[in-house]
Amino acid sequence: MLKIENVTKFYGNFKAVDNLSFKVKPGEIFGLLGVNGAGKTTTFRMIVGLLKPSSGKITLDGHFIDYNITDKIGFLTEEHSLLTKLTVKQQAIYYGTLKNMKEKDIITKLDELLKKFKIEEYKDKKIKELSKGNMQKIQFIMAIINTPKLLILDEPFSGLDPFNTEMFKNEIKLLAKNGSIIIFSSHRLEHVELFCKKLLVLKNGKNILSGSLEDIKHKYRKKNIEVIGDIDEEKIKQIKGVISVNLENNKYQIKIKDESVIDEVFNIVKKGKNISKFSVEQPSLNEIFIEKVGETYDE
Amino acid sequence: MMNKLKFLTKISLQRKTNNKWFLIANIIFAILIISLLNIDSIVSFFGGDFDKTQIIYVKDNTNKTYDILKMQNDNYKSIIKENENAFKLEKTSKTENEIIKKNNDAWYLTIDIDKNNYIKATLTTKDYVNTNDYTAISTILNNVKTYIAINESDIDQNELSKISKPLNIKRNILDKSKKAESENHQMLLSTIFPILILPFFTLTIFLIQMIGAEINDEKATRSMEIIISNVSPKTHLFSKVIASNLFVLLEAFLLVIYALIGFAIRNTYNKTSPLDITSAINSLLSSDIINNLTYIIPLALILMILTFIAYAILAGILASMTTNTEDFQQMQMPIVIISLVGYYLAMMANVFEGSIFIKILSFIPFISAILAPSLLILGQIGILEVIIAIILLIISIWALLKYGMRIYKVGILNYSSKNLWKKMFKALKG
Repeated sequence: MLKIENVTKFYGNFKAVDNLSFKVKPGEIFGLLGVNGAGKTTTFRMIVGLLKPSSGKITLDGHFIDYNITDKIGFLTEEHSLLTKLTVKQQAIYYGTLKNMKEKDIITKLDELLKKFKIEEYKDKKIKELSKGNMQKIQFIMAIINTPKLLILDEPFSGLDPFNTEMFKNEIKLLAKNGSIIIFSSHRLEHVELFCKKLLVLKNGKNILSGSLEDIKHKYRKKNIEVIGDIDEEKIKQIKGVISVNLENNKYQIKIKDESVIDEVFNIVKKGKNISKFSVEQPSLNEIFIEKVGETYDE
Repeated sequence: MMNKLKFLTKISLQRKTNNKWFLIANIIFAILIISLLNIDSIVSFFGGDFDKTQIIYVKDNTNKTYDILKMQNDNYKSIIKENENAFKLEKTSKTENEIIKKNNDAWYLTIDIDKNNYIKATLTTKDYVNTNDYTAISTILNNVKTYIAINESDIDQNELSKISKPLNIKRNILDKSKKAESENHQMLLSTIFPILILPFFTLTIFLIQMIGAEINDEKATRSMEIIISNVSPKTHLFSKVIASNLFVLLEAFLLVIYALIGFAIRNTYNKTSPLDITSAINSLLSSDIINNLTYIIPLALILMILTFIAYAILAGILASMTTNTEDFQQMQMPIVIISLVGYYLAMMANVFEGSIFIKILSFIPFISAILAPSLLILGQIGILEVIIAIILLIISIWALLKYGMRIYKVGILNYSSKNLWKKMFKALKG
């Protein structure tokens, strides 16, 4: 289990991470969210042992993170952390050996992963010759070549098309199923919603929202009502507790402050014509994020 | 961690040697060194007159001066001890146009009687003549004039012979450990040593740039984060230092091989060359200089290797502070200048003989590897001073590792140039 306990990190007088605590169990995919500068990268760097916390402690299975344990960690950085002059095979041997793997095992694992991601032909190609998407695949392969116990993924879907994104998702889910701890950060909140059962939102280094996704959505009082049909839009807008009414693609999106407004909205909708849908939806993570952080998740 | 150090060193060395630039650079080095060692043959092949004896056709209108000129030319040869390279004289009755038309390189010397100055001489050539040759012929002609003047002054033959005989200076050196015969060799060594250390200087610059480029590449690609999350910054820096030192030692070895090939070609195809490097080396080897070299070479090698290590650590620390190659190019300028200062001081060490200031400079790490061996050869410092220079260099390496490592740890993961020096000073304080 990964345990982050009361971790604070200062850069000079600037507090980058403020008393952060969370736990991630084996098999869990944990979302760490926040706008740029919120403290995500600093937290990742502390988890992989690149930075020492100013206070608090970080442990993996009860051991402090040091060079005896980093062999069990996989790290995919937001930028392509690949030596572009090397070939894919050389790069794999480089990073694999740093994880204390034997060359023979590295090649076997590399062949398996290249085949899985359908890029076997790039094994002896220089990384600088690859497209952005293929570079991202190689970077992902490098992060998981040691079948890590703890995998940190900072923007793993950057530069990927939907087909490859799906491939990545499947592999991440498989790793989690096999017991890896996965910490995940993405600007694409729909991915976070699909993946993560637990998440934490950072703002200015502080935890402003955390818990299971289900609980977070449940506790979030604002709801959306979706309606298809001809309704009296003006009457609905006049109901106390209705925040907004928007028509998009012949579908009304009615935002309400809490569940108490639903009956009143329903009473007006049922007087409309051609009603084919009335459904109360949970808010999206994106809406919750905007509400909590006070700004959109920067892309 | 030892395995990772070995692996990183191997990879770093492979990245330097397994590329086309290493091959191209070595082909250029080999061609340059072999060509330089056989430059006289190359010049001769293209029709130059490198080391060729200058022929002078003499038209003696006085009918008595040619023999005296010949005698003075022989005397001059014996003074300069360069029998092969003095003038070759030939008496002629032809005109200057006839001679020079036939041989463009020939000189034509006309000697006439001059009532006020015994003789007058006119030197005709197709082109400019070089200063050394002009000075030589002027000296010889002045000696001729003096000889004629003395001869016409009713001095008997014995006296005349004594006056004309060149004076040999007997050298007396009070330091019994030094032999007069070695003096010329010592002067020769002090001249050729700066040439021999030119590759050391070049390799130092190579070393600085290689470390900078490699660290910058790892930082720019962010692969540094993956590397440092698996090995400590200390292991990382050590791998760079060891690999770059192995590289420069390999390159130095290759340069020696190219030089040996150059000598072998010279000995095989150019046995009659007037520039006999082999015999010069044999002459050096047979002198007592060789005894001095038995301690000068090991001391110089120790200083050089320690200096390579010091430069490598310093370059690594500076590279860690920069975020791109352009920044590193600027950052490395001071260390390149320090190295350059050492090189020029070593070249001019002869000029500053006895200077306390230069002796003190020879202790200073980073330039001691070039300067101290030069002064040792010149006899301006002794073994003790060189050992002090070595100790100071070891202390510098220790200090660089102790305090520089603090900067390195922070620097390699820093990607912003904002408040850079503030961050580094803070890191230095620990």
